[in-house]
Amino acid sequence: MKITKKIISKIEGEATLKLHKKDKIIEFAEIEFWQYRGMEEFLKNRHYLDACVINPRVCGICGHSHLIATAKAIENALDVKITKKAEILREITLGLEIIQNHIKWFYLTLYPSVKQKDFFKALEFAKDIAKIIALIAGQFPHNSYAIPGGVTCDLTNLEIIKIKNFLYEMFERYQKIMSVDGKSEDLEELFEDIPKDIGRGLNRFLVLGDNLYFSSNGDFKFIREEKSTSLNKNVLYKDKFYEVGPLARNLNNPLVSSIYKKHKDSVYTRIFARLYEVNLIFEYLLKRIDEIEINEKNYIKPTQKNAKGYGVIEAPRGSLIHEIEIEDEKIKRYNIIVPTQFNLSNGNKLNPSPAQAALMNEDEKYADFIFKCFDICAICVSH
Amino acid sequence: MHSKPKVLWIDAVSCYGCSHSFYNYPQIKEILNKIDLIYHPLLPTKEFEIKSSDILIIEGAIKSNFLRLGFDLIDLIAKLIKLSRKVILIGTCSVYGGMFGEGILFNKEDKGKFYKCKDKIISIPGCPPHPEWIAYAIEMVLNDKKILLDSENRPKEIYSYTSHMGCVRNEYFEWKVDAKNFGEKEGCLFYEQGCQGPYTHSSCNKILWNEVNSKPRAGTPCFGCTEKTFPRKDLFKTETFMGIPANIPLGVSKRAYLTLAGVAKSLTNERLNKRLIDEDN
Ligand code: SF4
Ligand code: SF4
Repeated sequence: MKITKKIISKIEGEATLKLHKKDKIIEFAEIEFWQYRGMEEFLKNRHYLDACVINPRVCGICGHSHLIATAKAIENALDVKITKKAEILREITLGLEIIQNHIKWFYLTLYPSVKQKDFFKALEFAKDIAKIIALIAGQFPHNSYAIPGGVTCDLTNLEIIKIKNFLYEMFERYQKIMSVDGKSEDLEELFEDIPKDIGRGLNRFLVLGDNLYFSSNGDFKFIREEKSTSLNKNVLYKDKFYEVGPLARNLNNPLVSSIYKKHKDSVYTRIFARLYEVNLIFEYLLKRIDEIEINEKNYIKPTQKNAKGYGVIEAPRGSLIHEIEIEDEKIKRYNIIVPTQFNLSNGNKLNPSPAQAALMNEDEKYADFIFKCFDICAICVSH
Repeated sequence: MHSKPKVLWIDAVSCYGCSHSFYNYPQIKEILNKIDLIYHPLLPTKEFEIKSSDILIIEGAIKSNFLRLGFDLIDLIAKLIKLSRKVILIGTCSVYGGMFGEGILFNKEDKGKFYKCKDKIISIPGCPPHPEWIAYAIEMVLNDKKILLDSENRPKEIYSYTSHMGCVRNEYFEWKVDAKNFGEKEGCLFYEQGCQGPYTHSSCNKILWNEVNSKPRAGTPCFGCTEKTFPRKDLFKTETFMGIPANIPLGVSKRAYLTLAGVAKSLTNERLNKRLIDEDN
């Protein structure tokens, strides 16, 4: 048996992969993360509102999800309800963050690991998606418009009309990437020289958030973090590893489930679910935007000062958890569990995490690709 | 034909927000086509090697015991700076340290580890920096144009503005009408919500984010994301000293500010004291 160590870069952050191989076939893979930024410590003793500025900086590509999870955690702690209008606006900006993430991941992370492909159209698309977010939230990346109690903006119908038309335009433009009936030339081209059925994971799925159109199939109370061999922490649900992310949360869609029946939880199904999710998000947002009552309040001021709470959402890569303890308006404890920790836990040969399972028994030449299919965010892991 | 200028983009301790901000530059293709991007943490390039560059772009703060690409981060940065002709520090982390560590040029208020290299450094702070600022710095260097820099090596064409300039709430500021709450069109965020616009060096509210908006326009206070103090504590509160904002607009004496504020407060602008969009006539 031979063990090779490889630094995986060109993902959000970097990870180390140790492949145990026999004749080019991967027998086992160890996944390590060697970076740490100490953000939870940084939050301590600050006013809880500061978390709305600090936490988006967990990640440049999915920081908005961290903002929404922060606001939800504090609202849960302080028992605050937000208006329907504020809730819909958050759905729009979070949904759009997921969309820009998937586009960038597909063309900038995944494609280059297989072949060359023009990525400027992806940047162009993501830039326009970011513009819609900015119309509501002020800017992208790194806004702080979602705060406990609602949102800071106060839109007029002019913006709502602009946003809606823009959403229609982007939805239509997306049809060239993947149509509503699941056709995608770029996806088929990616698989020209790669088998579709490799990279099967654990076939165990978890959805903890219920934002957008997703429905949760679990309870965050059964989550446990444990020490790993590197600076990452493993995450288990009822003592088992689970796959989170677009495949997990879209299995109840007829089209995704038909692909799943054919290709199981392989790389192809995982990528398909992710690209297809974009269509479903557009459809959902276009429905929700019509429900906005422009005269409804944007913000209701929280009154409590002490409590514990948590916020769980479906972020681009899967279930994201923020936990907070507040004492006299100050943060006493903060804990963040990110989707990549679920998918890329470092288990052992008998009890591997989804990504480890996906790598096992596959040809080493596909390692990079299989790994990147999970859309790894090492930056989030190193929070 | 001349070979294209070599640009090496390295990330230190960061969130990659600077890169993602730059992706929003509408003519990013035109810029990337002009250069030979020898490394970038996310964009497709060749494998990383320690190499000389015409422009070194650094995103993120420095910190000891931090590994990047298999190297000790600070050693790596030292080597890359030495091998480069010009260095562009992008983001508040890289200039001052921000929330992740020490900056390259400064460590918050103090001189940073690489202060001695000041002559070849251009600072583009911001968390994240506006895409146009990054594009500006790259273009100016590529075209060998002289950039007017201030004492912290920030281009004056960007950082002589304050983020207060261009805010749609300026009239409320003038007449000292404060926002009563978040989520309202009316009122200035300077008195209650912690807005740092009047003393933050930034042209973001002039050129606008994503070409359409800004934080204060969206009702979020300016957090002073371009400053060495970012992120200071209590970002949503205005620090006061005996009822007076502790930090006052740049270039004004406390006395002048108080006189002006007193006069504005003693007079009333009726239009600004009610809802902007009134439901009755
Ligand atoms: S909200 Fe901030 S940026 Fe806008 S006018 Fe008031 S102080 Fe200036
Ligand atoms: S408004 Fe302030 S915090 Fe926001 S981008 Fe501009 S300078 Fe930074």
